[in-house]
Amino acid sequence: MGAQLEIQLIAAVVAIACAIPGVFLVLRKMSLISDAISHSILPGIVIGFLITHDLNSPLLILLATITGVITVVLVEAIQKTGLVKEDTAIGLVFPALFSIGVILIAKNANDVHLDVDAVLLGELAFAPFDRLLIAGADVGPKSLWVMGSILLVAIGLLFAFFKELKVSTFDAGLSSALGFSPVVMHYGLMSISSVTVVGAFDAVGAVLVVALMIAPAASAYLLTSDLKKMLVLSVIFGVSSAVAGYWMAHILDASISGSMTTILGLVFLMVYLFAPSKGIIAVMYRQRQQRTEVSLLTFLLHLNNHTEESERHINHLNEHINWQRVRSRTVLELAQKNNMISIADNIVTLTKKGKEFTELALEYIVTNKDEKIEPMKDDFFLFRG
Amino acid sequence: MESPKIAVQVDDLTVAYNYKPVLWDIDLQIPEGVLMAIVGPNGAGKSTLIKSILGIIDPIAGSVAIYDKPYEKQRKLVAYVPQKGSVDWDFPTTALDVVMMGTYGKLGWIKRPGKKEKKAALEALEKVGMLSFKGRQISQLSGGQQQRVFLARALVQDAAIYFMDEPFQGVDATTEIAIINILKELRKANKTVIVVHHDLQTVPEYFDWVTFLNVKKIATGPVKDIFNDDNLTKTYGINYKVAVNQ
Repeated sequence: MGAQLEIQLIAAVVAIACAIPGVFLVLRKMSLISDAISHSILPGIVIGFLITHDLNSPLLILLATITGVITVVLVEAIQKTGLVKEDTAIGLVFPALFSIGVILIAKNANDVHLDVDAVLLGELAFAPFDRLLIAGADVGPKSLWVMGSILLVAIGLLFAFFKELKVSTFDAGLSSALGFSPVVMHYGLMSISSVTVVGAFDAVGAVLVVALMIAPAASAYLLTSDLKKMLVLSVIFGVSSAVAGYWMAHILDASISGSMTTILGLVFLMVYLFAPSKGIIAVMYRQRQQRTEVSLLTFLLHLNNHTEESERHINHLNEHINWQRVRSRTVLELAQKNNMISIADNIVTLTKKGKEFTELALEYIVTNKDEKIEPMKDDFFLFRG
Repeated sequence: MESPKIAVQVDDLTVAYNYKPVLWDIDLQIPEGVLMAIVGPNGAGKSTLIKSILGIIDPIAGSVAIYDKPYEKQRKLVAYVPQKGSVDWDFPTTALDVVMMGTYGKLGWIKRPGKKEKKAALEALEKVGMLSFKGRQISQLSGGQQQRVFLARALVQDAAIYFMDEPFQGVDATTEIAIINILKELRKANKTVIVVHHDLQTVPEYFDWVTFLNVKKIATGPVKDIFNDDNLTKTYGINYKVAVNQ
């Protein structure tokens, strides 16, 4: 297997491993915690490295994971005092732990092959050089094996505890009452996130690992309303961004982790703009439509209230309802398109359908009961709540 | 006549947040088969009482028994409807899936819900008149519909005791009637239903048992015996009439 392929494979495995816990972090509104963990595991990594002199040693991963969980415990302890909010607690804990790691590296810089740059940005390009040898035979890059194992564990846990993860994320109270301790699920998720961050940071650094956890999940969140699909989409976004980022770096001769993060950001931007129902363009379109529909309703109510022809003359409508010409035309066209009005001799009259519609809509506005307007929801944004 | 069984027994329950007691030495006996309202002003500890009975909050003193055994051993006998506002309705899931969550308790760890659970969930949705919304994303439901989904989730738990935290909050009149009819049906089936309730005016109409709570227990018993000015004044202070008229 060539180095190029190996790098992409490592990147893809890291992306999948990050996307899975990332989905639950995003849904639990804990994205910032992943940032905290990715930085505060540094002292664990340094101490582990000083003992083992191997970035992929299980002891190092264990120590760093414990530091990650300690971060969460500290954040919660500070938050529980009620003196500061969660974001402040996070902002207090992780720089403190990270700085301990930085000092430890500086103090031992002479005999340790570990520097702050590598910690922050990682160096995927070097990952294939560190081989795993079993009985003298080369079986591939060490980080691929490490990340692959972490990924398998994560997938195994996801399949085993999917329903528990779901219910404790959606409704911690019910989860607790049913006997699925939200505390256990919380620390389980935190442990898996920590292990993943530790395993991934060597390859992609502390900054990109956050992007790989949060950006794919945030993008997927805007595209689907099904948790399973959200997981699948996150994995697809993560892997495709990782591979595309690698080739972007290759072409531009730039940092691999930087390129991947850029692609992840671009993917999110695209989804944010163009997502069919939650995207910004769709939302703007919907708001515009709703404005028009409110105007339509106002117009229909006006017609319904006035039998006298002077009030319903097309030339008087502008003055009477006090609209600009453009909006009047849009509303008039919408009403005609839906066969709600008929126009004869420049006098506008409600059709039977228009009358029914107006009465149902009025009833809905007054009573807020929406049984009768169910069929109207398909055609009108206004009634979809 | 044999006296009815005690469904929920609370002894000397005290709960504190940051050393400030929110529930103080509560003793409570809830007989089987009653439809009971817990009433009291804001901050009286109504939700906290339910949550500590269900082990969601750890009390600093006291004990709880569900049919004479600790809650941990009786989980399957109990269903819980949290406050609607306590969950994120933008969560990516459907009405049916939320109702399915009610079956998780009997399944236990790891085991997945199957056809039997899905059938039960669909039946529960039908009971609350929400079958046609089964595939709808939960954020696309109205407040009343969301509350019905929560009620269906409790029904699917097929419990002996139902705890509900403000099931009538933010629902339209139709939903309120639909919910109370289901609660009355549950009582007919000799289930015990305990509801945190805000609207004092509907207490005599909806419930047959009531507990007045304001950090301490003021009174508990049949509505016809104890739902009176004296207890309302003790619970709400002299301004209870304002509370009634709200």
